[in-house]
Amino acid sequence: MQTPDEFQARIVKAQQAMKEFGLGAIVLEPGPAMTYLTGVKWGKSERSFIVVIPAKGEPAWVLPGFEEMRARELIHTGSDIRIWQEDESPYERVAQILKDRGVAAGRVGMDDAARFFVFDGVRKQAPKLDYVSATPALKSAGVDLTQPAGRGRGKQ
Amino acid sequence: MAVAAAGAAKLAGAQEVPDAIKKLRPMLDGIQPISDEERRARVEKAQRLMRENKIGAIVLEPGSSTFYFTGAYRNPIDRLLFTVIIPAKGAIKGVMVKAGDTMIPANIDVRWATDEGDAFKKIAQALKESGATRVGVEERVRFAVYDGIRGEAPSLEFTSADPVTAGCRVIKSPAEIALLQRANDITLEAYRATFATLREGMTNGELANNMSAAFKALGASGGAMAIFGKYTAFPHGSIAPQKLREGDFVLIDDGVSIQGYQSDITRTVIFGQPTARQRQVWDLERQAQDAALKAANVGATCESVDAAARDVITKGGFGPGYKTPGLPHRTGHGIGLDGHEWTNLVKGNKTKIQPGMCFSDEPTIAIYGEFGVRLEDCMYITESGAKMFTKQSPSIDQPFG
Repeated sequence: MQTPDEFQARIVKAQQAMKEFGLGAIVLEPGPAMTYLTGVKWGKSERSFIVVIPAKGEPAWVLPGFEEMRARELIHTGSDIRIWQEDESPYERVAQILKDRGVAAGRVGMDDAARFFVFDGVRKQAPKLDYVSATPALKSAGVDLTQPAGRGRGKQ
Repeated sequence: MAVAAAGAAKLAGAQEVPDAIKKLRPMLDGIQPISDEERRARVEKAQRLMRENKIGAIVLEPGSSTFYFTGAYRNPIDRLLFTVIIPAKGAIKGVMVKAGDTMIPANIDVRWATDEGDAFKKIAQALKESGATRVGVEERVRFAVYDGIRGEAPSLEFTSADPVTAGCRVIKSPAEIALLQRANDITLEAYRATFATLREGMTNGELANNMSAAFKALGASGGAMAIFGKYTAFPHGSIAPQKLREGDFVLIDDGVSIQGYQSDITRTVIFGQPTARQRQVWDLERQAQDAALKAANVGATCESVDAAARDVITKGGFGPGYKTPGLPHRTGHGIGLDGHEWTNLVKGNKTKIQPGMCFSDEPTIAIYGEFGVRLEDCMYITESGAKMFTKQSPSIDQPFG
């Protein structure tokens, strides 16, 4: 298991690659890239659990309100944690993060493994951005995209 | 509790299978798979919904929706191997990267691609042939696949296929309800046996293994989540190690899959004697579950069912809203080929309840630092109201009646 400092170093490297590839931020669902960059393994469910890594600054998390305590057991990189309740939109949170971090125009890298509904939700809330694959930047930063995805539960 | 004698079958190379579980026998007799005729009718309905929603074709990857329409490719795969296109008119098309020994259903017109790039070209070609200008993308199609198709067909408009896929899947046929019934029956039987294996000092991992062994003995396979004591307040448990002690609540939340159809049941049982507080909260939980069942009538909104359960919990002194101690999540979700699928019993969902819809009914009461209680059974909607697939837990003293 890597230390928080090692994850921080990986994020810095990814941020350098994001600048080279002209990405203002990357948006990741649970999976190999999230695990490699942050250590967080989370099971994908219909409830969106997202990390936004801006080209500058710390990662920001968007996660279901009732999972907050369980998620905090796992998150060691980034203190910007924004929850959404069951009748609220996680994508409004993502759009707000992008706005707060100064990503108002240009390209955003999407996790290639992100499901269409997640991408579709984000683009509806932030329609001016241009969404492209995050994979070239992630690969350039040495992100291991072959790790097995996290296991988790999607109940209730 | 009885532990199996030496020489008994072992679990995961270490844990022995308790007697209560060894007695179980497969419950798979007489299962009727979904017929080809029913699948054809599903495709016809999807095509009608496409026309109504001005969608020229839908694109799917392997997964539950593909299985629903074709009877194949239930399990998602992590490489682009097979993409399914259902046009608003005409036969289902598939674009497949490599042959292998995969079975291809007779109802799919397959085109072979040499690699992913070639596959995107052929998918774009198939969409063009369908005459679509607006394409519905199934909700779990990966961004990479959407992005690849978009690259080859930039003039197409891509939108969510949910009005078509969920539009079909949300209403269950009698054949689907029968399969869900079987999955629920097996699950409850596994619970009965597994809760008979509780013993002081056991870990939640050991109990989860017993649960898996029970499913296996019953001829099914399913995941297992077992939570003890104060961690029952976390709806999805905790990574903290847990050992069973007198007076703990034990929560198991699980399900199996029969012909792809999922069950989802939760039981919260006291190990030993309950305190007055535990009894009071357990009873309130049961009342909240009853209130949702009673409210889930044809024509009612989904959000009104959530409100009915939440109201009981709020009047009991918890909440309000998602505030804890109280009910931190929605009251229930749709269930079918996915354990969670459209549509949800949640505030803001004004969808009207219709016959054939299936939902979980599970208004957890979470009291962080203390315990949580969740009773979950699934219900199906009939003209005369909601019916539970399984007998609800009768009381804290007799959790299985």
